[in-house]
Amino acid sequence: MAVEEKLSFMDKYVVEKGFVKPNRRLFTIRSEHVRQVFTEFIERLGRENFYLSTIVGTDMKDEGRIRLDYYVVLLPEEETIVIRTYLPRDNPVVDSIIDLLPGALSGECETYDLLGVVFKGNSFLKRGFFIPQDLVEQDRYPLRKDSGV
Amino acid sequence: MAVTKIIEVPFTLEIPVGPQHPALHEPVLLKAYADGEEIVKVDINTGYNHRGIEKLCEKNSFYRDIFIIGRVCGICNAVHANAYVRALEAILDVTPNNRARYLRVLAMELERIHSHMLINAVMAENIGFEALFMNIMLDREKVMKAKEIVTGARVMADYMMVGGVRRDIDDVKRDKLRKLISELRPRVEYYRKVFEEDETILKRLIDVGRLKPVDVTSHGLLGPVARASGVKIDTRASDRYDAYNEIPFDVVTRNEGDSWARMMVRWDEVLEAINMVEYILEKLPSDGNPVPDEKKLPRKFPPGEAYTRVEAQRGELTYYVMSDGKGMNPYRVKIRTPSFNNIINTGFMYIGHTIPDLPVILTSLDPCISCMERVTVVDLEKNIVYKVSLKELGGGKWGSRRYSI
Repeated sequence: MAVEEKLSFMDKYVVEKGFVKPNRRLFTIRSEHVRQVFTEFIERLGRENFYLSTIVGTDMKDEGRIRLDYYVVLLPEEETIVIRTYLPRDNPVVDSIIDLLPGALSGECETYDLLGVVFKGNSFLKRGFFIPQDLVEQDRYPLRKDSGV
Repeated sequence: MAVTKIIEVPFTLEIPVGPQHPALHEPVLLKAYADGEEIVKVDINTGYNHRGIEKLCEKNSFYRDIFIIGRVCGICNAVHANAYVRALEAILDVTPNNRARYLRVLAMELERIHSHMLINAVMAENIGFEALFMNIMLDREKVMKAKEIVTGARVMADYMMVGGVRRDIDDVKRDKLRKLISELRPRVEYYRKVFEEDETILKRLIDVGRLKPVDVTSHGLLGPVARASGVKIDTRASDRYDAYNEIPFDVVTRNEGDSWARMMVRWDEVLEAINMVEYILEKLPSDGNPVPDEKKLPRKFPPGEAYTRVEAQRGELTYYVMSDGKGMNPYRVKIRTPSFNNIINTGFMYIGHTIPDLPVILTSLDPCISCMERVTVVDLEKNIVYKVSLKELGGGKWGSRRYSI
């Protein structure tokens, strides 16, 4: 099955399509759909036919929002696609997918610790997973552009 | 029957986990809880040496970051720099020439050989096979020498550069490399045979830490760990970056999925890498100088984003680089190292195994080796604290004798 065909179910969620260099398909979706999209991934592709490679959070300070990218690798073609969503900067909350994909543990814990994105439903989130205690006490998130770190 | 004692085993290890991992100086804590011999729970704690490299990259220019990136990990600095440099090239639309692409692969494959030999040597040491450890490390020196000939340094290569590499090789160097590699091949074949046939190794590794393919994909495990469970993931074969589209190689997979299979995959990959190195030395193209003129490189970066993957020794390594087009510094650099997934997401693998299996499983996942620090064994009933080194736990009296308190 071609990759386009495999991903045709995404159409109902996609707000915008694009590319990240070099040739990674980019699908922008609404943040409330993240869980549904990954549920459909598992239902339609099967757990053995894709894996979550990484979660990249970026602080878009000028736009007042935080961008969250899920990099998913489809198997057996091994093609990387990007599922992008935006969260409001003052209240960045998104549903956790850790119960669907245990592999999200490392990415979610890191994004929470460094950027302050709350993954609702992930009980493993904690400050200080990576960053030193003094920053935790000051309640600062180092990767925020105005953190002063 | 109620549980009467808990043995708490906090490992303080230095492994390249997360985006900030100076290969030899980052500790991670695996806190294992055992009921008698059996491990019932493992907590993984990180962050003891977070250097904030992603933030540091945002504060420095695109070109300076190449050198910062090289310091993320000592063992695999060439692959790190390669992924980052290729992300910059994608943003700038720069393409290196063929000779540079081949030389990049040469450096990366030499790195793969020495890294795989290192972790196999450590595995031998962990299960108490000290002589094998010494021998593999001795032969590994040949690869370190070869890497020095190519890149100019045994460890910190700083070899990659936007649009090419930093040094070329001539015929004299090429002959030296050929000689070193031809001496290495029979040794590797011998060590592979030892791992295949030695009874002690088989007893300690087979059926330990077995991973099903579905566990691999749902936990996002990568590299030799995935390939040993029959999941054919290899960025070299899928992305075909640099010269991997022209150099022939096989993706090694096995179906056993245990610690032994992971080590055997590594040996087979070393042999593949030796073939690739020989091919490169034979067919190295001569289409110009692989070292670009630094003065002619673009100073200003256009807005754009790139996501590159590279098959590091431990699995898929990814870089995300974003330029906002406003300055000399990247807006965002995100590094996801293979150990980040392989170590943090594998707490489930230890459950049900015995304490001496713990270092075997951990080593088979290929964390960084100098990780070997100390383990504390706490007996709740007698309120006594024992301290033993991981080496002893793996292969010494704690490993070879049935362990009891």
